[in-house]
Amino acid sequence: MAYPYLHESETRVLSEGFGDPEARTVAGWRALGGYQGIARALEIGREATIDEVKASGLRGRGGAGFPTGLKWSFMPKDARRPHYLLCNADESEPGTFKDREIIRWTPHQLIEGCLVGSYAIGASHCYIYLRGEFFESTQVLARALEEAYGEGLVGRDVMGSGVDIDITLHVGAGAYICGEETGLMSSLEGRRGEPRIKPPFPAAVGAFGMPSTINNVETLAATPHILRHGGEWYRQWGTEKSPGTKLFCVSGHVKRPGNYELPLGFPMMELIEEVCGGLSGGRALKAVIPGGSSVPIMSAEECVECDLCYEGVEAAGSMLGCASVIVMDETTDIVKQVRRMAYFYAHESCGQCTPCREGTAWATRILRRIEDGRGTEGDLETLVEISEQMTGTTICVLSDSLAMPIISSIEKFRDDYLALIRRGERLGVA
Amino acid sequence: MSEARFRNPGWAGNTGDFELTEAEVRGSEYVGRRSPDGGHPSVAPSLPYMLVAKNPDAPLLEGPYRERLGKIRSRYPTARAALIPLLNMAQEIRGHISPATMNEVAGILGLSEAFVRGVATFYTMYNKRPVGRFLVQVCTNISCNLAGADEVLAAFLEHTETELGETSADGDFTVAEAECLAACGFPTCVQINSRYFEDVSPEDVPALLARLRREVDEGH
Repeated sequence: MAYPYLHESETRVLSEGFGDPEARTVAGWRALGGYQGIARALEIGREATIDEVKASGLRGRGGAGFPTGLKWSFMPKDARRPHYLLCNADESEPGTFKDREIIRWTPHQLIEGCLVGSYAIGASHCYIYLRGEFFESTQVLARALEEAYGEGLVGRDVMGSGVDIDITLHVGAGAYICGEETGLMSSLEGRRGEPRIKPPFPAAVGAFGMPSTINNVETLAATPHILRHGGEWYRQWGTEKSPGTKLFCVSGHVKRPGNYELPLGFPMMELIEEVCGGLSGGRALKAVIPGGSSVPIMSAEECVECDLCYEGVEAAGSMLGCASVIVMDETTDIVKQVRRMAYFYAHESCGQCTPCREGTAWATRILRRIEDGRGTEGDLETLVEISEQMTGTTICVLSDSLAMPIISSIEKFRDDYLALIRRGERLGVA
Repeated sequence: MSEARFRNPGWAGNTGDFELTEAEVRGSEYVGRRSPDGGHPSVAPSLPYMLVAKNPDAPLLEGPYRERLGKIRSRYPTARAALIPLLNMAQEIRGHISPATMNEVAGILGLSEAFVRGVATFYTMYNKRPVGRFLVQVCTNISCNLAGADEVLAAFLEHTETELGETSADGDFTVAEAECLAACGFPTCVQINSRYFEDVSPEDVPALLARLRREVDEGH
């Protein structure tokens, strides 16, 4: 089997079947130990399943890092109303490309994860919300799900246990905001993907008004392994606060971009220099966005001592998010990239909350002005002020997600902004 | 995107040597042909809805498509939840979602026309007006942008002789900018109808366009 590049630091738990077309089938997935995790869950029961995931310390891989077992335990224990598991496969955070690999190489890994999650929270129906653009990976998952139904792994009486769990694929139509959990619920119900105020939390009032849990693809994909080998086994990797392995999505100016599965706590510079072969063209590092575009930008100095775990990146002044490491070399025009991000958030704002709807568009216009050499130093203060007004003032965190790169880039790369402003003044562009 | 070697292995280190063919990476053999009736009800809402063939006047619910809608509705507790799958199906058949299509969909599901209009215009993947046989969407978001996505977009506009968001004179290509397509390790990513093309550079564009035209001529 072809495996183009495997670094010795890589620990393949979730990615073991990547690159092997056989792993897409039920038989291929079984050969890798598949469907043993759900079998064990069904054997030990709901509570013990949640306890096992709690013991593993698995944290949500969609960005927030909330402990998965704890999230599951919030679901009501009675079965008077239907419960739903929603799998968030609306992967659209710029810089993130891990869930698509899980889906297209190991669809049964996700299906098994959905079974484990559904069983743990007492859901008889799981919806996998796939982003619309994932046509090809969705077809692979669809064929795998048909196969799983055919083998009695999904549907009525899962593996002869007497438990019924249905899974339905739901395909979106292009909206970043549907990756926000309450926006996802709105969209699943056939509405505009507008987020809702919490509380009530989804575990109380979720999809279709019923108790629901939303988990990321990578989170669910990890659970069969945890059930099969035990929570303690999972803790052999990572740190006390960030156990396990994680798919790191590395993009930008490195020689070998791609997904690398590494233990959490892996040093950032080792990832960039060793695993990814260093920066392309031998240039110097300028900045890194460690967790997808919605987190503060880190300067090269901040990366030196940074370990890639939730607490490590936080200590370095940013957030691990979904571990989407965007590497930028010394030639990068930071202002242009921040402007491009701002444009993205303005485009994707659902428009419910004024600070977000107006703020993201306003910030984009100012950044464009600076980029074109028509900005003033006062614009930087205005940008910071707008960003502060966009933080913590809206239903969801979309506007906060833009505020963070803007504030951090002005703080750390002020000279880049000033150079454009000064040049414009000299040339008399304004 | 040379033909000899499929550059995107899909997971790591796209500088190595690969033994996988394009079909193996895409999984097309495993998937095979999916039936317009939707197949198993669990996967009925999941067929691709950006196709080369478009018929703006085709009926929405004939034969297998009616059957598919029945399967879709059986998977949700409310009629409203079938709205997005039905709009997807309408675009799959007609190629775009016109105001008349929105109203028709509203009638089928018993929803108000204004509500359906609000939903259909919220989502970017619904084409509100007709597009070319190939809708070329170039990601210009941060990771692709760092790799020169702006130049790739310019190359598509140049070689299709069209403007951003417009359709070429021969009706073959509509070129648009896309937001992050979640293929950031393999820049630049370009979504063409229901397929991704990764690691696309400006030099690859003429061959890629020729390939698309050839596939249509050969009846793919």
